[in-house]
Amino acid sequence: MRRVPGFLVTALSVALVLGAWVFVTTNGLVRDLFLPGPRDLWLGFSELMEDGYKGRTMAEHLGMSLLRVGAGFLTGALAGTVLGLAMGTSRRLDAAAAPFVEFLRPLPQLAYLVLLIVWLGIGEASKITMLFLAALPVAAIAARDGVRNIPPERLRMAQSLGASRGQVFWHVVAPSALPEILTGARLALGIVYGTLIASEIIAGSNGIGWMILDAGRFLRSDYAFVGILVIGLTGILIDRLLLLLERRVVHWAGR
Amino acid sequence: MPQLTRRSALAAATLPLFAFRAHAAPAKANVGFFTEAKPTMIAKGQGWFAEGVGAPITWTEYGSGAEINTAMVGGSCDIGLATGSVATAAGIAQGLPFQVVGLVDNIGPAEEMTVRTAANIRTPADFKGKKVATPFGSTSHFRLLGFLKTNGLTQRDVTVLDMKPAAIQAAWSKGEIDAAYVWAPAKSKIIEAGGTPFTTWDKLDKAGYAIADVIIVHNDFAKSHPDSVVGFLKAYGRALAMWRGSPEEAAKLVAQQAGVTPETAMAEMKAYDFVDLAAQTGEAWLGTPGKPGRFAEVLKGTADFLVEQRSIRSAPAVGAFGSALNSSFLQKAVA
Repeated sequence: MRRVPGFLVTALSVALVLGAWVFVTTNGLVRDLFLPGPRDLWLGFSELMEDGYKGRTMAEHLGMSLLRVGAGFLTGALAGTVLGLAMGTSRRLDAAAAPFVEFLRPLPQLAYLVLLIVWLGIGEASKITMLFLAALPVAAIAARDGVRNIPPERLRMAQSLGASRGQVFWHVVAPSALPEILTGARLALGIVYGTLIASEIIAGSNGIGWMILDAGRFLRSDYAFVGILVIGLTGILIDRLLLLLERRVVHWAGR
Repeated sequence: MPQLTRRSALAAATLPLFAFRAHAAPAKANVGFFTEAKPTMIAKGQGWFAEGVGAPITWTEYGSGAEINTAMVGGSCDIGLATGSVATAAGIAQGLPFQVVGLVDNIGPAEEMTVRTAANIRTPADFKGKKVATPFGSTSHFRLLGFLKTNGLTQRDVTVLDMKPAAIQAAWSKGEIDAAYVWAPAKSKIIEAGGTPFTTWDKLDKAGYAIADVIIVHNDFAKSHPDSVVGFLKAYGRALAMWRGSPEEAAKLVAQQAGVTPETAMAEMKAYDFVDLAAQTGEAWLGTPGKPGRFAEVLKGTADFLVEQRSIRSAPAVGAFGSALNSSFLQKAVA
């Protein structure tokens, strides 16, 4: 059997799903309240682009969301990486911090949403903290494992060549762990992005996540679908950018 | 030859029994409700609603009328008790499968703006730059937007935050919001915690932002079990009569159900204008079959506002709202 190229399969599967969507919506098999057709979706999209949603333009909504994601991800991944590197270098610190990191990692963010509102209020602080807490454990564990997986002979070689502790860290540990740190960052970003909608439940009035929730309230599914498409495509775009960065920075990884 | 099982034999034997009654009572009814201080709570607590329906009731508490709409579409809610006129208007405009069979109350001053005393808000212009919270999609939200619009304010001048009543109370105690448009018990609690009522309702009612709570029934349920719908309305009428006749006793029963003190229940119920069943068939409300009352226009106005707000896509002519008002059950209930 001849091998079918992957991109053809992808194109076929996307075409199939789109075709099914066009078929059921244009033949009136489902009501537009539940699944908007291509025309409704386009109308909804152009309305949102022209007039915005509930007093704010789409760019503002998307901007607010990306700002939250950016702030939560950067602080969370940075703090997590620093913590993970320290945990990887010191067994004692690892033993002390691991229970908290391991507990936090699988915890659904909605579980502590209420507490964050009580402690930090309804403003940006509680939203960003929620995203921060989502990113931190993932980044920490990736960095720790990155350090742990360094072949010991590489460390010993550097030490026997007379490198100081600082030199070993900066010239051996950090670059060796970098590929895993960056993979961890990509993972963390995915989780932060997934947590975004939950964070925008908190006293919302802007953001793409809030827009989807608000539009869904009265079954305004055309707007909800536009929001989902925007958030989905932006997510892919950001992920690709990080992947590109990863390939540039750690081009040696996996070779 | 098909086997004659015991069950099919039983069914065959009972069939003629049911044939006598045009409409069988349902096996059970799913009723959506909100915990609040209203006479409806008496009929719920005393089991009068179940009696009237002629079947056990599965009570489900919803967070908003919009959620009841969604449940109606999914077929998991037969009756929506005291759902707001805003969600109802949206549902009718969207052609959702329910009809309005009666009214619980005209909200009037029961939902009102409360301002933080320390925020020093005296005139509508003072709201500029302030944070006002309300549960989005509710009747209160509708009134608040009406208040902004009639006073020439936009959502850029005033930050309008989407918060549930419980969250409003929490944020209020921490001083994070300057005002809130909400109903009891959250309303009375934030007034106690340093709030002052800011009256908006009288002007808004006149400007077309009247709000009410209604009883909606799924079309399928109304068709198959009309007697149950009449019984349900009668149960509310009985509770209303008790509230009129012996308010002290009524407040006590309502308090038990709503989890507040009898004094609070009494004060909160006094803020509502509960409309007697007989008055509901009047010109001002549901009207009579074939001649819908002015409430259809209120719903139409509400839906038009929602279209303007982009909450729903379009609204039909007033006739569609008139035909969603079914006063035939009310007529039977008061007969």
